Amino acid sequence: MATNEPIACTTCALPGGPCGGKGIATLKDGVWAQNPISIQILGICSALAVTNRLENSLVMGVALIFVCVGSNLFVSLLRNVTPRRIRMIAEVAIIATFVIVFDQILKAYYWEMSKQLGPYVGLIITNCIVMGRAEAFALQNRPVVSIVDGVANGIGYAIVLALIGFFRELVGAGTVFGHVVMPEWYVPNQLAILAPGAFVALGFLIALFNALSGANEEDEGTQP
Amino acid sequence: MRLVANLLDRARPLFDEGGRLNFFKPVFDAGDAFFFSPATATAVAPHARDPLDVKRYMTTVIIALVPATLASIYFFGLRMIPVFIVSYAAGGAVEVLFATVRKEEVNEGFLVTGLIFPLVLPPALPLWMVAVGCAFGVLIGKELFGGTGRNLFNAALVGRVFLGLAYPKAMSGAWVEPGTGLLGRATELSVDAVASATPLALAKAGEFTATTDLFFGSVLGSAGETSALAIILGGVFLVGVGVASWRTTVSFLGSFAVLSLVLHGGDVGTVGWHMLAGGVLFGAFFMATDPVTSPMTSAGKWIYGIVIGVATALIRNLTGYVEGVTFAILLGNIFAPVLDETFIAASVRRLREQKA
Repeated sequence: MATNEPIACTTCALPGGPCGGKGIATLKDGVWAQNPISIQILGICSALAVTNRLENSLVMGVALIFVCVGSNLFVSLLRNVTPRRIRMIAEVAIIATFVIVFDQILKAYYWEMSKQLGPYVGLIITNCIVMGRAEAFALQNRPVVSIVDGVANGIGYAIVLALIGFFRELVGAGTVFGHVVMPEWYVPNQLAILAPGAFVALGFLIALFNALSGANEEDEGTQP
Repeated sequence: MRLVANLLDRARPLFDEGGRLNFFKPVFDAGDAFFFSPATATAVAPHARDPLDVKRYMTTVIIALVPATLASIYFFGLRMIPVFIVSYAAGGAVEVLFATVRKEEVNEGFLVTGLIFPLVLPPALPLWMVAVGCAFGVLIGKELFGGTGRNLFNAALVGRVFLGLAYPKAMSGAWVEPGTGLLGRATELSVDAVASATPLALAKAGEFTATTDLFFGSVLGSAGETSALAIILGGVFLVGVGVASWRTTVSFLGSFAVLSLVLHGGDVGTVGWHMLAGGVLFGAFFMATDPVTSPMTSAGKWIYGIVIGVATALIRNLTGYVEGVTFAILLGNIFAPVLDETFIAASVRRLREQKA
C-alpha cells in the first residue's frame, strides 16, 4: 500500500498513484455525475427529514462524510480477509461503529443539535448510500481510493442537503443559520418546513441538476 | 367585431413562421381563439364531428359557475372581483409562460381553474396569497405533469392545499360576515376579515347554524361554497348537459350521506345539515367531476365518488380537521388512473373471453 506517498490530485490521476488512476474520476462521480441524492435518488429519507434548517443539514452532511469515509476505509482494508458470505454483517458492524462514535460525540459536545436531529444520526446505519458505497466500491478497491470515494459521496450528499436546508429555512422561517434575513413584511411559508415542502424542494433541485448536467434528457424521437 | 378581426389578421404575419414575433405565437393564438373559432381545419381523416370541444366544455363550466360567483359577490362584497382578476393573472402568467416555452396553444382549461380557485378560498384572503396559491397550483399541480389533460391532481385544489399548509393562520382568519338584504354586500368595495368559526367548526362544538342560512348561503365560509342554492342551480345544469358526470356526483353524495348516517347514529336531520355545510356540494358538482382528474370508465367513477364521499365523512367526523372535501378529492384523484386501468383491463379480458 502506498499510504506514505503524498495524496495530491496529480498523483491521483496517475495510474501508479495511490488511487490507481481513478482518484479524480471517483471524486467527480460522487460529487456530481453519480451524486447519491440528485442522480441515484438514495438516502432520501434523511434528506427530507432533517433539512428543515440549514444548521441541521450541515451537521447531517458532516456525519455522513465521517461515516462514509470510515466505513469505506475499513471495509476496504478488510476486503481480502472478509468471508464473502458474512460480508454484509461485517459491513454493518463497521458502519454502526462509526455512526455510534459520531452520535456519542454529538451527544457529549452538541447536546442541542443531537436532540434536534433525533433518531436520524443513528439511522445512518441503515442509510443506503453508506451501505451502497461499501458494497459497490470499497469491497473492490484499495483503501486510499475508497477514502476518496467516501469523501466524494459524503460531499455530494452534504451539498444537496445544504442546498435544500438553505432553501427550506429561508422560505419557511425567513432565516439563514437562525438569523433573520428576509425583510419584515415577509410572511414565512410554513409548507417549506413541513415534509411536503421537502419533496417539492428536492424535486426542483433534481430538475435543476438534471438540466445543468444534461442527464435524463428525454429523447424526442422515441416519444409515441 | 369586424375591427378586431382586421386587427388580428393584420398582425398575424408577424407571429407566423419567420415573423419577428414568432416566439409569442401561442400568446397571439390565445387572443385569436378567444374572439373567434380557429380557422384551421383537420385535413386528414378521420373527421369526428362533435361540437363539444375543450373550449365549449370549459365555457359550459364557466356558465355553471355563474350563480356561485354572483352569490360570492352578493355575500362577500365587490372585493371578490379583484380576487378573480388576480387569480386569472397569476395562473394565466404561468400558463402562457409554459405554452410559450413548449410552443403549444394556451389552453382553455385555465379559464375554469382561474375562476374556481378563488371560489374555494376564504373571501378576505390577501391578494398576494391568492396569486401565489394560483401560480403554485397551476405550476406544480398541472404544468409539471404536462399541462391541461395530463394533470393527476385538480390544480385549484392543489393551490388550496398549498395555501392551507403554508399560511394556516391567514387561511383560518380571512372569513367575512355575509351580507344581507336586497343587495347584500354587493355595493361594498372593502371587507373586514374576521376569524370567527365557520358553521362546521361550530358544529364540532355542538352548535348548529340554521339550515335555511346554509341553504341560501348567508354563513361564514369559502367564497363560492356557502350558498347551496347557487351551487345546485349551476351544478344541476352542469350534470344535466352531461359535462359533469352524474355518476361521480351521486356516488360522492350518496356514500357521504350513508356513512354520515352511520356515524351520527341514524340522525337524518344532522346528515342533511352536513350535506349543505362546507364544501360537499361544491366539491361533488364542480371539483370531483373535473374530467381530467376523475376516471373515464363508468365503474371507475362510481368507486372514485365513493372513495371521496367516505374520506370526506371520515375526515370531518373522526379527525381534528373540521372539513375534509379538499383532501378527499385529492385522495380520489390519486386513485383515478388505477381505477381506469383496472376496469379497462377487465373489459378487455371479458371481450377476449367472449370472442374465444
